[in-house]
Amino acid sequence: MAVLADDASPFTDGRRERLAVLFDAHAPRLYRLARRLAPSADDALDLVQETFVRAAGALDRVPDGPAAEAWLVRTLVNLQRDHWRRAKVRSRTAAAGKGEAQTPDPERCVVARDLVWRALDALAPRRRAVIVMHELEDVPVASIATLLGVSRVTVRWHLAKGRRELARIIGAHGGMR
Amino acid sequence: MTTLKDALRLADPLAREPGPPEARVAQARRRAVVAVGVAGSRAARPVARRHVLVAGAVTAAAVAAGVAFWRGGLTPVLAAVRFEIRLAEEAQAPGLREAPVGSDPRLVYLHEAIVVSNDHIATARVVAGRDAEHFDVEVVFTPGGARRMAEATRAHIGRPVALLVDGLVVMAPTVRSAIGDRALLTGDYTRAEAERIAAGMLVR
Repeated sequence: MAVLADDASPFTDGRRERLAVLFDAHAPRLYRLARRLAPSADDALDLVQETFVRAAGALDRVPDGPAAEAWLVRTLVNLQRDHWRRAKVRSRTAAAGKGEAQTPDPERCVVARDLVWRALDALAPRRRAVIVMHELEDVPVASIATLLGVSRVTVRWHLAKGRRELARIIGAHGGMR
Repeated sequence: MTTLKDALRLADPLAREPGPPEARVAQARRRAVVAVGVAGSRAARPVARRHVLVAGAVTAAAVAAGVAFWRGGLTPVLAAVRFEIRLAEEAQAPGLREAPVGSDPRLVYLHEAIVVSNDHIATARVVAGRDAEHFDVEVVFTPGGARRMAEATRAHIGRPVALLVDGLVVMAPTVRSAIGDRALLTGDYTRAEAERIAAGMLVR
């Protein structure tokens, strides 16, 4: 995308270019993580946009190089945590008696997918991010710890707790080892 | 029986979805970049303070200055928003600069001369947009600005005119008749974004 530079402030233009470079380098990876944390593709894209808008307002705190990815991932997960908490408050005040959501499609694989994803929805965002990164993205524990700014022990703890919670929900419906 | 990994891969939406539409990705990118432009001037003053705090020995005076700033003891700088209207064309020609329009795939070609800018704005205010969640910015020009707009657009009927915020073309409507004393900036803004733009346009 062309950015008009005539009589623009070099201060703003340098920062704008830096943000654009960050976006081009990290947005695809952030979207993949966001899509696995958020309920829909639109929500995931909003989450990515919000992450970079935060970065725009705090560009001096975004490190250069590989550490930028960690900053962006942490910001995204924290933003999703805020959304998740608000959604939980809204769902507690929503009309009772909604019952379990059922897809109209009777195919078992669709029901199974829905079940697994709802089980993931029940996990707190950070725990869900650990599970997604480890189980779906094959990110090593040490790298997850760096990305989220926590210790390896904390990552392993979230993995263990998350696996137990998912196994409890999914295993009750079809078995999982 | 299936493993957790297998169950998650089966449920993974990325295995079934084609990926986000390019237009939406471009829109997200544009909004993030515009956010830098809006925050840029405001960041200038705190950056100076931050350098005092982190660059080596931290003195008590520097800490006090930083605390005073972050507690609002100093007047915050309202971020200026650079607004321009330029004539544009649908086809490339010598002397024109190519620019995308918002998040559309459409391109326009901008004239070099600025028809009106912040100096020609009398007022800017937030008005309701296409629905309850989106807002626009109504810009009213000064008499001098209105004259410049009328003269420029009178000879430009049927061709586009580009509205730019911080150097980015946010819209490029076709001129149906000479534009007078006001323009409506529509960009699917949230209320906060529209208020920032409207206030920032009036900062000199």
